[in-house]
Amino acid sequence: MDLDLLWTIQLSPLLAFLLITLLPKALKKTAPMVGIGLALAAALASLKLFSLHADGAGMPQEYMRPWFEISRQSLWPFVEIQNYSLSVGFLVDRLNLLMIMVVTTITFFVQLFSFYYMAQDESRGRYFGFLSFFSFAMTGLVLSSNLLQTFLFWELVGLTSYLLIGFWYQKPAAADAARKAFVINRLADLGFYLGILLLFILFGTVDFLKLEQNVLTQTLPASTLTILGLLVFTGVMGKSAQFPFHVWLPDAMEGPTPVSALIHSATMVAAGVFLLARAFGLFASSQTTLLVILIVGSLTAVTGAVLATVQRDIKRILAYSTVSQLGLMVMAVGAGSAVAGMFHLTTHAYFKSLLFLTAGAFIHRFHTNDIFEIACGGGKKELLPLGALLLGLASLCGVFPFAGFFSKDMILEVLRERGVIFYGISILVSFLTVYYSSRLLFVILFSPARETRHGKHHETWVSQISGSVPLVMLGAISVIVGLQGTSVFDFKILRWLGGHETHLNIQILWTTTALIVGGALTAFFLFRDPALAEKRLREDQGILRRVLERKLFIDDVYQFLVKKVVLKLASLLDWFDRAFVNGVLVNRTSYLILGVGRWLSRVQTGFLQDYLTWALTAGLAVLFWTIHLSSGKL
Amino acid sequence: MNLSDSLQSYFFISAALLGLGVFGLLMRRNLVAMLISLELILNSASLNFVALNRFCLADKSLGQVFTVFIVALAAAEVCIALSLVLWLYRKKESINVEDANELKN
Repeated sequence: MDLDLLWTIQLSPLLAFLLITLLPKALKKTAPMVGIGLALAAALASLKLFSLHADGAGMPQEYMRPWFEISRQSLWPFVEIQNYSLSVGFLVDRLNLLMIMVVTTITFFVQLFSFYYMAQDESRGRYFGFLSFFSFAMTGLVLSSNLLQTFLFWELVGLTSYLLIGFWYQKPAAADAARKAFVINRLADLGFYLGILLLFILFGTVDFLKLEQNVLTQTLPASTLTILGLLVFTGVMGKSAQFPFHVWLPDAMEGPTPVSALIHSATMVAAGVFLLARAFGLFASSQTTLLVILIVGSLTAVTGAVLATVQRDIKRILAYSTVSQLGLMVMAVGAGSAVAGMFHLTTHAYFKSLLFLTAGAFIHRFHTNDIFEIACGGGKKELLPLGALLLGLASLCGVFPFAGFFSKDMILEVLRERGVIFYGISILVSFLTVYYSSRLLFVILFSPARETRHGKHHETWVSQISGSVPLVMLGAISVIVGLQGTSVFDFKILRWLGGHETHLNIQILWTTTALIVGGALTAFFLFRDPALAEKRLREDQGILRRVLERKLFIDDVYQFLVKKVVLKLASLLDWFDRAFVNGVLVNRTSYLILGVGRWLSRVQTGFLQDYLTWALTAGLAVLFWTIHLSSGKL
Repeated sequence: MNLSDSLQSYFFISAALLGLGVFGLLMRRNLVAMLISLELILNSASLNFVALNRFCLADKSLGQVFTVFIVALAAAEVCIALSLVLWLYRKKESINVEDANELKN
């Protein structure tokens, strides 16, 4: 039963992808139906699987079959020989049951919303095909039983991310963004791959269940564990957009908005945090690794939050907000609490995809990403998206009793125990979060709606439903899912993840409330008249503004590195290739063979008698040889 | 004892023919002379067949049949070779083998 459900979850998106790809042109219109239907099947199957194991008994389960084995001789000669064998299969435990539920439900809602959002797009079929393929890769990533299998799906997920960012490939910005995301992720995945290889060679297995902290610390020296953990963490930094690899995520907003909701906020970028929790034993076995994770997380959280405060593009605000929230999750894991990280991942997945779909609704309605223009167009008159935006932002800021409140407070608490610096950083990030959220809200809310420039779409009731149901459902879920971590629902989600129950910490409650009020007041003071604020913003030429406009110069640093270092290195390698590989190895070999050939061609004199002489000599030699042999035998 | 009754004398003649043939084939530059030398080599082989047939074989026809084959083969071969030589002569006004080196280089 379990296995059937797992196969359903894993293969129905793939089936959707194949069906959509193979559909004849005349039937391309049904592509959204295929995608949505099979996404629903996967979501239902994962809900069923979850309900079967709601008590958490009999976990973890593995359904494995051998993949390949490596003989002793073929590997490293200096390392102690272990039994190198790899299995492939599903691993089901509490962690990925939760994750698979998050992934499949959000996928379903996003597919449904895409039906509304992409209704006018010519290449809908391609879009839904890629989206289904992404969902296949993502479920594969979540259900993988070992690191190498995870890595394969990790790359597939990266590929679909590339394809979907560059979905409108005629736009140069989209094509560039796709390339940027791809290249940065490859760079990071190189580290990840090296980490997996090293772990496999040194430890003998990459199965998640065997990566236990105490076993690892007994088998391997501490420095090796640090290196292994950091290498694997490099991959996480790429995928989860951690500093300094975060630069691809804001640019990835060039893709269609539902894609941003699904891939670049809820699921794929969270895969890094998921991996941190999945292989927590590996990271936890070295204190240095955890400290580095914590520091990188803090840098990311601060960078994202600071940059989110100056963006005008609604999707970019949300993208930087995602970066900063991912930083918070990574901080939580780095502080030693994978539970807090996963809890925030879950709530964040729901409310951030809600926010992105809301942004999508605004963009679809007003054909612009600029918040000031949306506001002028009459954004506040769109009641459903506005409500959803309010709900999502309240969750994001951590207003009681919305989802973000519980998960973020848990992270704050974890960080407070870890140390005062990191606590301070998280407080700062929370403050900035409230500030940019309120800014977004106030700009839309307080702008006078000048004109309604864009005529209403002629929407059928089907597309109206598909445009509004996901918002309502995701909003409802993001309220409920936060309460799962409280005493109201008996700390269900925390117990489920194996964490302890937390009590409402009064001090933190006061701190966050003060933060929310403070941030909101600051934003209110600055943006109570958006038109004035915009004018002031345009005139301001201060140094702070310039630094923030240039995104803290991180892109410039990349530009510099690529131009001065990478290209120099490339030209050096180019010279090496031309001079040594081509010049010495290839050309010398051919010259040698040419020379030998020319020398041998002297045999061909053009005189018949010379050839005859050669032939007769050879014949005689053969004759003598034969006689010699036969006489030797006798 | 009659000389014609011993196998060795036939072998001697056959070897002499072969030697002459090979010598002529290698030393002469005239294509017709080379063909004649070739015939000498073939004849030495035929002679061997007939001689061995006579002295060593119970069935007295096998070697002779072979010889007849060789003669027929030689005729055919000479036919082709002479026509080639003729063609070469028409083209080059010479049947010196050293002039026929178009394939060199």
